[in-house]
Amino acid sequence: MKNFFEVCDATFSSGHKHELKNINFDIPNKGEVVCLIGPSGVGKTTILRTIAGLERLKKGEIRLNGKLLSSRGVLINPEKRNIALSFQDNCLFPHKNVLQNILLGLERANRKEFLFSPHELLDLFKLKNIQNMYPHEISSGEAQRVSLARSLISSPDLLLLDEPFSNIDPILKEELQNLVKEILIKTKISAIIVTHDPNEAFYLGDKCGIIISNKLRQFDTPYNIYHFPNSLEVVNFLKRGSLVNVKIISKKILKHKRLGIINAKYGCSNLNPFNEGNSVKLLIQPEDLEHDDNSNLKLKIIDRKFRGTNFIYTLKTVDGELIHVLVESHHQHLHENNEEFGIKTPINIDHLVCFEKN
Amino acid sequence: MELNKFLTGTNSTSVLDNILYYLVLAISIFSIIPFFTIIINSSLVNFDYSLLIESQFLTYVRNSFMIVSCVLILTFIFGVFSAYLVTFHNFYGANFFKYALILSFAIPPYIFGYSMSAFFENYGVGYSIINFFFDTEMANIYLPDFSPITNSVISLTFTLYGYVFLLSRASFINQSANLIDLGKSMGFTPSQRFLKIILPCARPGIFVGLSLVAMETLSDFGTVSFFGVSTFTTGIYNSWFIFDDLETSNFLSLLLLFFILVFFTIENLSRKKSKFHLLKNDRRNKKTDLSGKKKFFAFLFCLSLFTVSFIFPFSQMIYWSIKFPEYFENLNILKLNLNTFLIIFCTASLIIAFSLISNFGNRVFKNKLLSSFSNLSISGYAIPGIIISVSIISFLSLISGISNLNLKTLFIGSFYGLILGYFFRFYAISFNGIKSNYLKINYSIDESSYLMGFNKFKTFYEIHWPILKKNIFFIFVLISIEIIKELPITLILRPFNFETFSIKAYNFASQDLIEAAAIPSMFLIFWTSILILISLNYFFDEDK
Repeated sequence: MKNFFEVCDATFSSGHKHELKNINFDIPNKGEVVCLIGPSGVGKTTILRTIAGLERLKKGEIRLNGKLLSSRGVLINPEKRNIALSFQDNCLFPHKNVLQNILLGLERANRKEFLFSPHELLDLFKLKNIQNMYPHEISSGEAQRVSLARSLISSPDLLLLDEPFSNIDPILKEELQNLVKEILIKTKISAIIVTHDPNEAFYLGDKCGIIISNKLRQFDTPYNIYHFPNSLEVVNFLKRGSLVNVKIISKKILKHKRLGIINAKYGCSNLNPFNEGNSVKLLIQPEDLEHDDNSNLKLKIIDRKFRGTNFIYTLKTVDGELIHVLVESHHQHLHENNEEFGIKTPINIDHLVCFEKN
Repeated sequence: MELNKFLTGTNSTSVLDNILYYLVLAISIFSIIPFFTIIINSSLVNFDYSLLIESQFLTYVRNSFMIVSCVLILTFIFGVFSAYLVTFHNFYGANFFKYALILSFAIPPYIFGYSMSAFFENYGVGYSIINFFFDTEMANIYLPDFSPITNSVISLTFTLYGYVFLLSRASFINQSANLIDLGKSMGFTPSQRFLKIILPCARPGIFVGLSLVAMETLSDFGTVSFFGVSTFTTGIYNSWFIFDDLETSNFLSLLLLFFILVFFTIENLSRKKSKFHLLKNDRRNKKTDLSGKKKFFAFLFCLSLFTVSFIFPFSQMIYWSIKFPEYFENLNILKLNLNTFLIIFCTASLIIAFSLISNFGNRVFKNKLLSSFSNLSISGYAIPGIIISVSIISFLSLISGISNLNLKTLFIGSFYGLILGYFFRFYAISFNGIKSNYLKINYSIDESSYLMGFNKFKTFYEIHWPILKKNIFFIFVLISIEIIKELPITLILRPFNFETFSIKAYNFASQDLIEAAAIPSMFLIFWTSILILISLNYFFDEDK
C-alpha cells in the first residue's frame, strides 16, 4: 500500500544557508501527525516551506496521496496544492480583521463540505470577542490562534505548523496543544509540526523526526526516540541523562568502575554489534537509578533541582563523571550539596543503550 | 521551459507571468535611457582638455561651488534649528509651524527669485513700503543691492531648507528620550545636549536632507538663469541651445553629473545608516516648555522663517496680480489650469502604473537581474532636468540615425516627449515610494496568500493593492507638486504653444515683466500649497 505522504531522498535548501541532504520520512495513513524537532537554524522551516511549495526541491521527491508535488524538475505552485501552512511569525493580512482573515482561508476550498464553520473555529480558538479587531490590535498569542484557525478552515489535506505555540503563554499553551491534538484526531487531518520543544513533539506526534546538523538523525515513534536514541547527537540534543564509560561483560551485563554491575532488566539492549570485553558509553537516564539511603554505593551531590513532582540530583563520581538521579518530590530526606547520596544496588536498567566510544 | 525556470524559479509559469517579467524588465531598461545616453555621449566626446582652463568653465565651477556651499550652510542652520525648536519645545504656534514650514515646498526657487527681484529693485515693493511709512524719496539707498549670486543663494535657501527641516525633524522625533535624559543626568546644559547628543544622533538624517538640497541646487536652472549667473546648468543650456556646441554641453553635463553623483552617494549611504539610528520601542521625547524670553524668540524665529519663505513670495504675487489686473486679459487662465491638470494626470498615472508593475514584478519574481536593473532605474532623479531633456533629444537623434524610425517628430516638441521627460525625472519618487511601502509588507504575507490559493495577480489585487493604495494617492500628489514646479524639461520639450504656469511665469520674467509673471506664479503657488496640505499626513508619517 502506498503511503499517504512521503518525502523520498530529498535535499532541501533555502539559498546557500543550510542544506539538508538525504531526508526520508513519511506519513503512512491519513490523519497521522509527524513532529520535526531540532535546534534552531537547522532548516526545519525550510522543509515545511518546500512541502508547501514555497521553495524548490533540490533533489528527491515529495508525494501526497500518490501525486507528485515536488521534484527536481517539478514544482506545483503553492496555490494549486491543498496544503495549509501556519507561519511562525503570524502572517495575518493587516488590512483585514480577524474574521475576514479566517474567511480568506476559504478561497481555495473547492470542496463542498467543510469540516468547520467559521463560527465553530472562532469558538474553538476563543476568538469570538476579538473577531472584529485588526491584526495590530491583538496580541501575538491571539494572532497565532487566528493563524491556526485560518489554516484549518480550508480543510487542508496536509497541515503544516511552524512553531505553532511559540508565542503563546504557558498556561494557554497546554490547553491549545490539547485542542489542536483533539481537532487533528477528530478531523483526520494529517499534520507536520515543527518545534524545538521535545515534550511538545512527543505529545503531538505519532512519529518524530530529529534533525541535527543537516541530517534527519532519527525518525521513529516518540517512545523509541526517548528510550532508544540512535546516536550520540540525539542523546545530546534531547539532554536525557548522562553517558558513562562501561565495559561489556555479556550481551546483557555491563560493568562500571564505580557503580559496579549493571543489568538489563528485561534483557533489552542494543549491545549486539559490540564485542564482549569492549569499552562503550552507556546512557544513564535520571529515572534509571533508584535512591537508597542504606546502600553502600554512595556518590557526592553537586546539585539539586526542584522540578515540582520530583527532584533531580546531580552526582559526581571520583572520576569526574556526572550522573543524574530522579527522586520523588515527596521524598523526606532532603540532601544538600556535598552530602553523600546512596544508590540502590545492584543496578537494573530497563533498556541498555550504548554507543561506541570515540 | 528551461528559460522559464531560469527566469522565475518555477516551472508552472503562465503566459501572464512571462508577460509580466518582460514588461518589468522593459520598464527598468527604459527608465535608464537618459543615464546611458549620457555615458554613450561622453564616450563619443573627444575630450578637449583646453576646455578645462577656459575662463568660462572656471566661472561655472566657481559659481556653482559658491552657491552650493552657501545654500548648504544656510539651509543647515534654518532647517535644523527650526526642526529642533518645533520638535523639542512648546511655544506659541509650535504645532502650527510644524506644518507651516513645509509650505516652503510650494514655492519654486525661480518664483522666489522673481519676488526677490520685485521687492528689492529700484522703486520696487520695498521702496513703496519705506516710502509709505517714512515718506522719503531716498528709500532706494536703504535697500540692499544684492549680487546675482547672493540673490540666487537666498532664493534657493528659503525654498529648499524644507528638506533639511523635514528630515532632521524625522530623526529628532525618533530619538530615544533615554539618551537625552542621560545627558541631563550627566549635567549637560540644553545647548550642550543639542550639540553633543541630539545633533550627532540625527546626523544621517540631516545628511540626507543636505544632499537633497545640494542636488536640487546643482540642478536648478530657473533661478540662476533669471539672475544671470553662469553655472553648469545655464552653461549646458547656452552651449546646446544657443551656441549649438554639443561638445561643451556634453562635457559640462558629465561633470555636473559627477558632482551630483557624489551627493547622491552620500544621500544613499546616509539613508541606510539612518535606519540604525531609529529606535522603535523606546520612549519618545516629551516637549519641554520654554521660558518667557526664549519662548518669544523661538516664536519669532519660526514666524520670520515662515514669513520669508512663504508669505513673502506668495503675498507679493497676489499683490502684483491685483495691482495689474490687465495682465489677466492676456492669459487664458482656464487653459493653463487644464493644461497643468492634463499633464499631471497623464504623467503621474503613467509613472505610478509603471512603478507599480515594476515593484510587483520584483517582488514576485525575486530575480537578481530584474532587481539590479530596477535599482539603476531610479538614477533619473539624480539627473538634472536640463540634462534629461538634452539626453532625450540626443537619444532620439541616435535612434533616428541608426534606423528609419522617425521618433524625433513624434517626441520632440510634443506632448509625448514632455511626458517622457517627466517620466525619467520623477520615476524614482514613485518607484521608491511604492518600494518602501512594499518593504513594510512582510514577505510571508504573500506566501500565506499563495497558500490560500490566490495566484500572483489575485494576491496583488486582494492583498497588495488595498495596503498600498493610500500611499499611492500621496505619491500621486508628490509627483504633481514636482511637475507643477518643474521648469527646464517643460521649457525644452513642450509642444509649441503648450504652456503651463511655470512656463508662463518664466517667459514673462525673462522679459522683465515680473508684474505679468505674478499671475501664473500665484496660481502655481496656490495649487502646490493645496497639494502640500493634502499630503501633510504623508510628510508626518513618522509621528505615529
